[in-house]
Amino acid sequence: MMPEPTGVIHDIGYRHYEGARLGRGSAFAALTVHSLRGAFGFGRTARAKIMPLLLSTIMLLPAVVSIAIMALVKQQGVKYPDYAVFMQAVLAVFLAAQSPYLVAPDLRFRVLPLYLSRPVAVLDYLGAKLAALSIAMFLVLAVPLTLLFAGELLVDLPGPPHTAEYFSAMAGAVILAVILAALGLALASFTPRRGLGVASVIAFYLFTSAVSAVFYGVFMSMGRDTAGKWAMLINPFFLVDSVQVALFGTAPSNGDGYPPGLWPCLIVVMVIAVALAGLFLRYRKAASS
Amino acid sequence: MNAVVADITYRAMLGRKRIWLLALLPAALIGMAALLRLIGGPDEHTAVILMEKFSIGTMLPLLGLIAGTGVIAPEIEDGTIIHLLAKPISRPVIALTKFVVAASLVAVFGALSTFVAAFLLIRDESGVAYGFSLGALLGGVAYAAVFMLVGVLTRHAVTVGVIYALVWEGLVGGYVPGARTFSIQQWATSIADQISSSPFLTSDVSLGFAISAMVVVTVGSLVWAGQRLRSLSLTGDE
Repeated sequence: MMPEPTGVIHDIGYRHYEGARLGRGSAFAALTVHSLRGAFGFGRTARAKIMPLLLSTIMLLPAVVSIAIMALVKQQGVKYPDYAVFMQAVLAVFLAAQSPYLVAPDLRFRVLPLYLSRPVAVLDYLGAKLAALSIAMFLVLAVPLTLLFAGELLVDLPGPPHTAEYFSAMAGAVILAVILAALGLALASFTPRRGLGVASVIAFYLFTSAVSAVFYGVFMSMGRDTAGKWAMLINPFFLVDSVQVALFGTAPSNGDGYPPGLWPCLIVVMVIAVALAGLFLRYRKAASS
Repeated sequence: MNAVVADITYRAMLGRKRIWLLALLPAALIGMAALLRLIGGPDEHTAVILMEKFSIGTMLPLLGLIAGTGVIAPEIEDGTIIHLLAKPISRPVIALTKFVVAASLVAVFGALSTFVAAFLLIRDESGVAYGFSLGALLGGVAYAAVFMLVGVLTRHAVTVGVIYALVWEGLVGGYVPGARTFSIQQWATSIADQISSSPFLTSDVSLGFAISAMVVVTVGSLVWAGQRLRSLSLTGDE
């Protein structure tokens, strides 16, 4: 005969969660805000704040100098639509430095299944990361533009304010932010190592900008101007600038103009689609490991 | 030099995804040279543009960055460097060995592909191929040393290296002539200019300054990295 079981479960006083259980939407929003804060180093160590804040400050410098020029000699400095192309190196460094942070630690420490055991699905996770990085890239570019515009209004240049140019540049900044974020995340997600992620994103930027510069130079010296203009579009910053030119009729910032028509817009959509498809395929694999 | 350390470092560099970045850029350079040959009469000017903009201007800093930080930064990040540092091998010797590995990789991938691409375009016309390969070789060695030092000094080695290569050499060097004097890229171009007689190539830095600066920077970085390894503190990852 078996003795009666004597074990008891003691209630040692853990409290149960009785609040409202927020659903998928809130999880998405929380992850987006967390990633966006992280992209600027908030909620991370002091060392992690140096780089994003330094780069954001560098982005402001041309706007400040431009306002000074406007105030002193009553002349426009950097034009709004040219800002992104002019500061492309800084934007690229910001993208390269921050996009691995958003994806690499989760892959490296294999915590993705923990996220996915919550109401968050793979698409939500990727959407939140993409939204966070897009907003971060947009802010880095839009804040200097807005500062510049505010400065222009305050200085009160002779002639009407360049309102149309400002809004075109802001719309261009949205497109640029989305395409850069998609490319950055797709490239960075292929390695769980942060250093290598930074290197691959920056290698992509340097590679495209060098290829476009070389082919542009060669085609121009051969007298094949049309081919040279197409070669410009290999660089993502000039690609977005050409979309700006095609959609809003701003002056091209490379001086020579771009291929006519809406082809650049189609290329932008295709690049974003390919990058997002690559990202999704990568995470379908990562989610199951 | 320590053969075992070198062997382990080579395997770590060549056995992982890093090799793709190391191999893709030289492959792209040769591919572009082939493409330019295909689309129309390749001339000396084209070759000089390709070498200056892509080979020395883009590929070399990137290779130096990937190889220079790759030999040591991942080990520090993972904390596995502790196993290496605990061995009875002098720290400067470890630094030297890692540097030799990085420099040899940059030399093979960078200088060799530069030579092949230039030779593919214009054969040995006015010494462009020889000049740029020697420039890439010496510049690559200097880049490897500097970026390895950065890898020992900071966790954000790649970002700092990128800022040096892009913002200092690219952006500031483009507008402020004085900044070009302190740019490895310009030193490499100066060496290329000295050997090649091409009229399309000009350099801002004198050869004597370029060579002495390269030696000073390479040796200085090595010594500093070795000293720094002697007092390396391992702190937790953020």
